[in-house]
Amino acid sequence: MKWTMQDIDTYLQAKEYVDTAVIPLIPIDLKEDVKQKVSMGTFISTMADAIERQFKGRVLLFPAFTYIKNQPLEKRKSELIDWDRHVYEQGFKHVVYLTADGDWKQVEDELPDMLVWLPALPFENMEDRYLKQMIDQQMKQIIPLLTNKWQSEPKQRP
Amino acid sequence: MSSEKEHRVSRRQFLTYTLTGVGGFMAAGIALPLTRFALDPALEGGDEQEMVAVASVDELTEEPQRFDYSFEQEDAWHTSEVTQTAWLYLDGDEVVALSPVCTHLGCTVDWDSNEDFPNQFFCPCHGGRFEKDGVNVAGTPPTRPLDVYEMEVRDGTVYLGRPISRD
Repeated sequence: MKWTMQDIDTYLQAKEYVDTAVIPLIPIDLKEDVKQKVSMGTFISTMADAIERQFKGRVLLFPAFTYIKNQPLEKRKSELIDWDRHVYEQGFKHVVYLTADGDWKQVEDELPDMLVWLPALPFENMEDRYLKQMIDQQMKQIIPLLTNKWQSEPKQRP
Repeated sequence: MSSEKEHRVSRRQFLTYTLTGVGGFMAAGIALPLTRFALDPALEGGDEQEMVAVASVDELTEEPQRFDYSFEQEDAWHTSEVTQTAWLYLDGDEVVALSPVCTHLGCTVDWDSNEDFPNQFFCPCHGGRFEKDGVNVAGTPPTRPLDVYEMEVRDGTVYLGRPISRD
């Protein structure tokens, strides 16, 4: 489900079935490597949409957690932990942070739940059918991450 | 001759009639296309979906296979590229085209993907299951069968339209 009026109605009526939050983590930067940041952003949004399509009934895809790339990692991390706490307390037993930004890898162990880091692929000049193949291949990696996560106990928050 | 006299038209009247007439035509000339353009998208009917060629019958087997296809969808003023998936298989000579959308909450189902439930469609979200013909397995969350696509086979090619709900 998406963060839209239509989907949120479904969510409110079927809350007990929707226990997984997907939060895309997307950096903003107008100083250095602007295009690379934009490319990361579109890639992650595309993958987030694909995940939502596959797992529509159990996943709520949140608007992206957007941050300025050069602000301290500690600050962003604690903000993300606030997001996590909020959604966890509202019944999302599983939270997935989806990003192409390598920074998060450094603090992966300090995050309360699962970080999925994907290296950004240059989607922009790709023909549609290749794009589809790429998304499918990525999804083959991501699907088991989620289904396995569902098999295991939700991570406890401190 | 006399009748022509009775119908005499003064110069002023003549000019009035002519100007009104010409003005009317001009106004209509402007107004009609405008109205037509404004109504056009509404007249086209939004959910009319054309049949799309998806697969050739030769490719199909008794085993359901996944086919992805995309088409342009016109939604009033906005055209977008939509990608859809169908599970196709042969039941004797008949082609069956099922929608992959789980009727519980809309996840995408997969054929024969769970070891415990061979030869069934399985939904990874809440364990919903469907028989090969799309009928939901009792005791799992979905409450109705998978939708079937509107379908046509022409010259050995399978064309699909909209998914239709069955109860």
